[in-house]
Amino acid sequence: MTSKSKILLIDDDRDFLASVRSVLESHGYTVVEAETGKDGLQKLIEHKPDVIILDIMMESLTEGYSVNYAIKHLDDYKEYKRTPIIMVSSIESSPDERFPISDGYVDVISPNYYMNKPLDIPAFLDVLEKVIQE
Amino acid sequence: MQKSIIVIDDDEAVLLSVNKILSKAGFHVETFEDGVSGLEGVTELKPDLVVVDLRMPGLSGMEVINRVSEMDPYIIIVVITGYATIDTAVEAIKLGAYDFLPKPFSPDELRVIVNRGLEHRQLLQESHRLEIERELLKRQFVTLVSHQLKTPLVAIHQYLDTLKQLGDTPDTASKRQDWLERCLQRTDEVLAIIKDWLTLSKVESGSLTGEILRVDLKPIILNTMEANADMAAEQGITLEAELPADEYPVKGDRNCLAVLFDNLMVNAIKYNKPEGRVSVSVKAQDHQIVVAVADTGIGIPEKYRQALFDEFFRVKGQSSGQTTGTGLGLAICKRITTEMGGTIEVESELDVGSTFRVSLPAYHEKADQEEENRSTK
Ligand SMILES: Nc1ncnc2c1ncn2[C@@H]1O[C@H](COP(=O)(O)OP(=O)(O)O)[C@@H](O)[C@H]1O
Ligand SMILES: [Mg+2]
Repeated sequence: MTSKSKILLIDDDRDFLASVRSVLESHGYTVVEAETGKDGLQKLIEHKPDVIILDIMMESLTEGYSVNYAIKHLDDYKEYKRTPIIMVSSIESSPDERFPISDGYVDVISPNYYMNKPLDIPAFLDVLEKVIQE
Repeated sequence: MQKSIIVIDDDEAVLLSVNKILSKAGFHVETFEDGVSGLEGVTELKPDLVVVDLRMPGLSGMEVINRVSEMDPYIIIVVITGYATIDTAVEAIKLGAYDFLPKPFSPDELRVIVNRGLEHRQLLQESHRLEIERELLKRQFVTLVSHQLKTPLVAIHQYLDTLKQLGDTPDTASKRQDWLERCLQRTDEVLAIIKDWLTLSKVESGSLTGEILRVDLKPIILNTMEANADMAAEQGITLEAELPADEYPVKGDRNCLAVLFDNLMVNAIKYNKPEGRVSVSVKAQDHQIVVAVADTGIGIPEKYRQALFDEFFRVKGQSSGQTTGTGLGLAICKRITTEMGGTIEVESELDVGSTFRVSLPAYHEKADQEEENRSTK
């Protein structure tokens, strides 16, 4: 049963956070919110969520990619490297896009799932269920 | 993270003492006795800061400065020497050195200059990162615009869909009113973006700009103050103007100038502090009329002062996080001043206040009038 799964929601729009939180809680999930990538990484360590929902464009155009990169590559987060990440964005973006990050180019590795905003709620819940079971 | 420093000096006593002072201050220090091995060390270690002696046998200090700043302009170079003359100092700084420390120096002097240099490095790196981000935004401008418009619509859609999907539950019943309120506010946000976007396009296409004529600024400024008096009063902000008795006419367009000063005034009120002040002053300077809108507000971090005039840029986090806005106001101001042949600048101190200064070409009663007559004939 997924009823105890904990979800970390990282998004800089507090209205988006509020509605998605309600949907998740009504389906028995526990929700932790973060409004910046940095805060999200901190909450990851604090709360050890089962799944991360991650927005792409936050303070910077590519903040979500940086967070995804940090979780999957940096030693600080190696304990959480296998935590599934569902990336969400209102802009269609291909997972292969390369974004320059400060010095040199970083090979952005794909998150586990991409979903477009606004979220199709039933589809979103399905994906979530699937990701948790995997 | 521990900062690393490389010290290059042919004088062993200096190496020893600098190493001791800086290691004690918590830095990772490596020392080299000549320029060539020092440069190798810099390549390998990629230090945050280099301390280098100017006078050394072999590769000179100047040459080291040159090579290091070519290698990585963000490595801070501090020069030490017993032959401190103004000329050599100026030359070293021209080559890319950050500062100069004449021998003999005290441990305190060294620590102060090193810490200041490292702070400077952080600012440089941060500005560099922002610059890259700005470039990326410019290249992906269409993406940015659609993201800005979609964000409030996504929020609204997600609220409404959630209400629809969840139906009547105690949870949705308690939140419905609040969510509808938020939906309305986000709708206003979309409307505001579209309105500002239209203004921006009109300035760009020239349709907001009528003929460039003689315009007296005083009535425009007074009107702007009146129009924003209620908003200022609500927030306990005092509006004041220091307007000259004489007329200071400029060459411009009345509508555009009204939009310009309105945006500056609204910002000065919005990003102010309780009991704050906004003062507008007008001065003639050379062939320019300079209007300054000064506030006693939250100020703007130095690293953002370039990006401020970019479309959709807003300072996040800090106290301005509570205010709403489109991030288009200053982009509009910049376009308008450029269109009128003027300039706009900002001066700001964090937590003390900001001053936006607009310079516009002055209208010269005789010369400009003759020109106007000629062109209408
Ligand atoms: N007078 C001011 N004091 C402090 N910050 C300011 C001031 N004017 C503008 N800013 C900053 O610059 C940003 C951009 O301003 P603007 O383009 O007018 O957009 P908006 O006001 O809609 O956010 C603001 O979000 C704010 O962070
Ligand atoms: Mg504004």
